[in-house]
Amino acid sequence: MNPEYEKQLEAAIDRELKGLGELSAPATLTSRIMRTLEQRAALPWYRRAWQTWPVAGQVASLTALLVVFGGVCFGVVGLLQAASTTAPAHQIGGWLTGVGAVLKTPAVLAEVAVLAVRQLGMPLLVGCIAGMILAYVACIGLGTVWLRLAVARR
Amino acid sequence: MTDAQQFEAFVRDYQNMVFSTAMRLLANQSDAEDVTQETFLRAYERFGELQGSATLGGWLKTVATNLSLNHLTRYRSRWSFFSEMMRHGEEDEEHEVEFAAADNTDDALTQSERRELVEQALQKLSPKERVPLVLYHFEGLRYEEIAEKLGVSLGKVKTDIFRAREVLRRKLRLKLAEEPR
Repeated sequence: MNPEYEKQLEAAIDRELKGLGELSAPATLTSRIMRTLEQRAALPWYRRAWQTWPVAGQVASLTALLVVFGGVCFGVVGLLQAASTTAPAHQIGGWLTGVGAVLKTPAVLAEVAVLAVRQLGMPLLVGCIAGMILAYVACIGLGTVWLRLAVARR
Repeated sequence: MTDAQQFEAFVRDYQNMVFSTAMRLLANQSDAEDVTQETFLRAYERFGELQGSATLGGWLKTVATNLSLNHLTRYRSRWSFFSEMMRHGEEDEEHEVEFAAADNTDDALTQSERRELVEQALQKLSPKERVPLVLYHFEGLRYEEIAEKLGVSLGKVKTDIFRAREVLRRKLRLKLAEEPR
């Protein structure tokens, strides 16, 4: 690219853009902002942002959170200890059964897919998948149109 | 004057600046209004500190810019595909209408019409071209700062800004001494 041309282009565009000045905000914007502030001020303190709560409220909520968190931690540790001392082998066996069932799921799904292909035939399955993709794309498209219409109306 | 009245006067003084910043980055009036409102709501929380501060204008611009960029990041990935499709369609149609009549746009248009035309051309740019261009020319950021802010490479920023300038040059029929090679 020609550096001299780039310089001239930058200067020309800069001149055009700097010459624009400020845009005028809509006349209703100030009243909208003030109205929102009034609405916020009318809210009870506990429904406002946590940062704006009274200090006592902040301290109390933080303390309550710490107590709950500590309680959960102690509870979990206690449960694990109780499980390990009472019936460890049984407990671990139970977990492994659950893990085994989860691991079997993909194999079962694959078998179902093979059976479906045999019973229904490939064209029907491809059609179903294509239909699902089409429906998904239609949802996105309609959603986009709805959003743009909603935004344009505001 | 009560606090509320002081703040209202403050909003009136700065709303055009904040709105312009948001509008040029977002190219969407209702989004720009939302960002402007959010900027002033944040300013209200720190109004005591900000009042009389020399950096007040800069603070407002920075907050408006960051909120606009956050807004773009949040919604861009979700809607860009369809938005871009619609935008290109609109662009092609309007190009014919706007520029077919006059060969020398400067002579044919008044200054306010010219400004309107530049604003429209700016808003018709795709976000990936418009945003770095606005950050460079209006917000005075350097290429490196823009790359950092947008999380893209320096080369991409330079390319996008160059493309955006080229689009504007063609739309505004700017004549330069040098020709592109």
